[in-house]
Amino acid sequence: MSPIYPVNDYGPLMPGLVMAAVAILHVFLAQFAVGGGILLCYFQWLVMKGRSENARVFVHGYFKVLVLISFVLGALTGVGIWFTSIQVSAATIGEMVFNFHWIWATEWTFFCLEVVAGYCFYRYHQQLSDQACLTLLSLYAIAAWMSLFWINGILSWQLTPGDWLVTHSIVDGFFNPGFWPSLLFRTIVCMTLAALIGCVVVNIIPGLQREARQELISKAAHLMMPMLAMPVLGAWYLYTMPSDSRGWVLGGSPAMMLFFMISVGASLAIGSYALIGLWFKKLYINGATAALLLLLAFGATAGGEFVREGSRKPYTVRYVLFSNAIRPEEVAALRIHGSVTDDPFPIIHEKQLPNETVTTGAKVFRRQCAVCHTMEGSNAVAHLTESWDVDQMRMNIAKLQQTKPFMPPFAGSATELDALVQYIQWVHEGRPEEWDVANDPEVISHIQQWLDDAGTEAAGFVPDRRDSAEVLPAKAVVEEGSAL
Amino acid sequence: MHAMFPFGFESHLSFYLVVYVLTLVTHVFLMTYVLAGSIWLAWSTIFPGHQSLPRTRQPLAMILRDWMPFALSGAITAGVAPLLFVQILYRQQFYTANLLLGWRWMVVIPVLVIAFYLLYVIKSKSISRWSFSLRCILAVSVAASFLFVAFCWTTNHLLSLDRATWPEMYQTRQAIAALGPLSLRLLMWVSGAFPTMSILACWQMFGMRSRDKNRDPSVTPDEWRELYSSDERRIAKASVAGLVVAVVSGCCYAMTLKPEIFSQIVGSSGGPWLLVAGFGVGLQITGWVVQLRKSRFCPRWLTLVTLTSLATLTATASLREVIRLVQSDMQQVEQATRSAAEVGGFGVFVIFTLINTGLIGWCLRIVMKRRRLE
Repeated sequence: MSPIYPVNDYGPLMPGLVMAAVAILHVFLAQFAVGGGILLCYFQWLVMKGRSENARVFVHGYFKVLVLISFVLGALTGVGIWFTSIQVSAATIGEMVFNFHWIWATEWTFFCLEVVAGYCFYRYHQQLSDQACLTLLSLYAIAAWMSLFWINGILSWQLTPGDWLVTHSIVDGFFNPGFWPSLLFRTIVCMTLAALIGCVVVNIIPGLQREARQELISKAAHLMMPMLAMPVLGAWYLYTMPSDSRGWVLGGSPAMMLFFMISVGASLAIGSYALIGLWFKKLYINGATAALLLLLAFGATAGGEFVREGSRKPYTVRYVLFSNAIRPEEVAALRIHGSVTDDPFPIIHEKQLPNETVTTGAKVFRRQCAVCHTMEGSNAVAHLTESWDVDQMRMNIAKLQQTKPFMPPFAGSATELDALVQYIQWVHEGRPEEWDVANDPEVISHIQQWLDDAGTEAAGFVPDRRDSAEVLPAKAVVEEGSAL
Repeated sequence: MHAMFPFGFESHLSFYLVVYVLTLVTHVFLMTYVLAGSIWLAWSTIFPGHQSLPRTRQPLAMILRDWMPFALSGAITAGVAPLLFVQILYRQQFYTANLLLGWRWMVVIPVLVIAFYLLYVIKSKSISRWSFSLRCILAVSVAASFLFVAFCWTTNHLLSLDRATWPEMYQTRQAIAALGPLSLRLLMWVSGAFPTMSILACWQMFGMRSRDKNRDPSVTPDEWRELYSSDERRIAKASVAGLVVAVVSGCCYAMTLKPEIFSQIVGSSGGPWLLVAGFGVGLQITGWVVQLRKSRFCPRWLTLVTLTSLATLTATASLREVIRLVQSDMQQVEQATRSAAEVGGFGVFVIFTLINTGLIGWCLRIVMKRRRLE
């Protein structure tokens, strides 16, 4: 059995929201760092080719912003995302680190190159030849993009592990079906963000005339042109997604659909402005407008990241780990043994709970629900179940994966399920000091029947061709191979 | 554990332990520069002295101010690798300690962000126009931030070792089981940071002393050279004091350990490393005392102190792991590394480590060539 970790209560915030906040900020900054490298190389090349008189001023001004934002906030939120992941789902980050620790270590060697090349340029660029500057900037840009390359493989593996499920080969896991569309899409996002920040920086560099600013903005806009490929890459990425996940995004889940539309809408607005306004009509863009476009880009990033995280439901690593950190193969055993039988951590305010059954229910909630739900805050279980009567609640939770297909199956005993229902009911009734528990064997027997009917698998969906290859057990594939 | 650390285990475990210790030492080497450097800057701001220039405008403070943002960036980047391998070796302990501390652990990140930006403020030219009290508040805030981060790491580490207290710590929301060992351990690492910072700073001062362009225009070249010498003497004294305090607090910390852990430190597993650490400290003290008697630092002695410092750090990190392993479920640790060793990707790591080391060398060569042109 997987180890049981302590669970922290974030009050009205569900842990997933904390994770989302840190992740979105980090992704935004990290993508700026990657795109910034590419943009700086382009402008340095313009300097050397004599195609822009003001590009040199821009390179020096922009790199200061890059160092102050990306080297500080980007690096530290990167560490912060690890710490937050541990807080939210230690099992998930543990699974990712375990399977890809050498990939992460390789990424680290690129971080080292990025920091050294970046600081060498930052400290000495005014004393270096143009060629030396371009070399340092190119090394910085390559290192930054390679860090995206490595982390992209790990992140896309979470949703589309592909043949890795059968072979457990790191090559199959890393170059999974979602790898290339995700990498190309993210690269374009990086370039777009860098160009938009470039437009803001152009407006704050002192001493530049309007014509000079216009020329620099027009040049920066060149990096936004690849946005034209975004619809194709986005469609390619959607195609590689498992059919059920794609279904959530394309209307199956209103929340996910909403965030998807925010992301698409914001990207469309930025792309249209860049293509028509900045590139075709060579319009000038002031600092406020540039900042507004950047804000839209932040919205697009936030929407995209929310969709990426949400579409993995009910897993955090598809077919490997449910979002509550329970493994699919553990569910059957936990149905017999109980999910909190071995939980060493007591409930913090145990004395405020009326009896042992409700305490067990609180522990079951903490183990199986608390990562995505609160009891009375955001995504509150008390609110989601308020229209259900007791029997309905028992049946709906027992058949959870059928009630809500993006939920994992209930992974505990029938007694634990009843305890969870008692806990929710107790909250519904305003947390009274006295709470009677019937412990009716017939009720437990009914719950057991519902649990048996639902089975231990996640929601049954019709697997498409790619999914069916994923779910084949290793042995079957080997036998199939030898028969051929 | 009957052989010298990291031998006597399964080869996989030994391998991951070696990788972890080496990456940790790299991180600690840079981290000490920031920690001790910020304390030095705070001290020199509060006590400006009575020489021709206040201490904050003297060579050492100038170098520290200039290089600390880069050193912090380097320390954070270098820290990613041990943070990765600790999750392979001691996943359950590390994660549980993180979770038990909760937001008290997460707060390390915003504190570091603030301290990082304040380092840039300290580096800026405009700070010279600030009032004395504001400059003091700034310098003390930065030092306090790094001390707080050190405190959090120590708390986290000690909590991860004390498996028996986890349920109680969770329910009571306490973070510290015993203040004594925590204070001693923290004191050992903080005071031990001074000699390591001094080594890096001495090499920088050695390189910069010959270049007159860094001289403060309000002093003559002779006065500037004298300020270098006084900084060198001061730094040597601080290093000796740091080493003595680190040894004393380290010994006191060892006394607080359970007998079965203590016996491993002085026994076959940790004993040889204890000897290395002892010799290392002895040679470092000798090196600093010899330097004190000379008018300026000698590169030969400085090399010796550098090498012995690295050996001492490696020995201390190894002893740290001996203490942790005695308190770990060895079956679990061995199983974790055995499974991790079956995961591919090591070859990719080796290839890119070599390539990127070469590219880092290329970057430095570009910068060095610039210096020759000057």
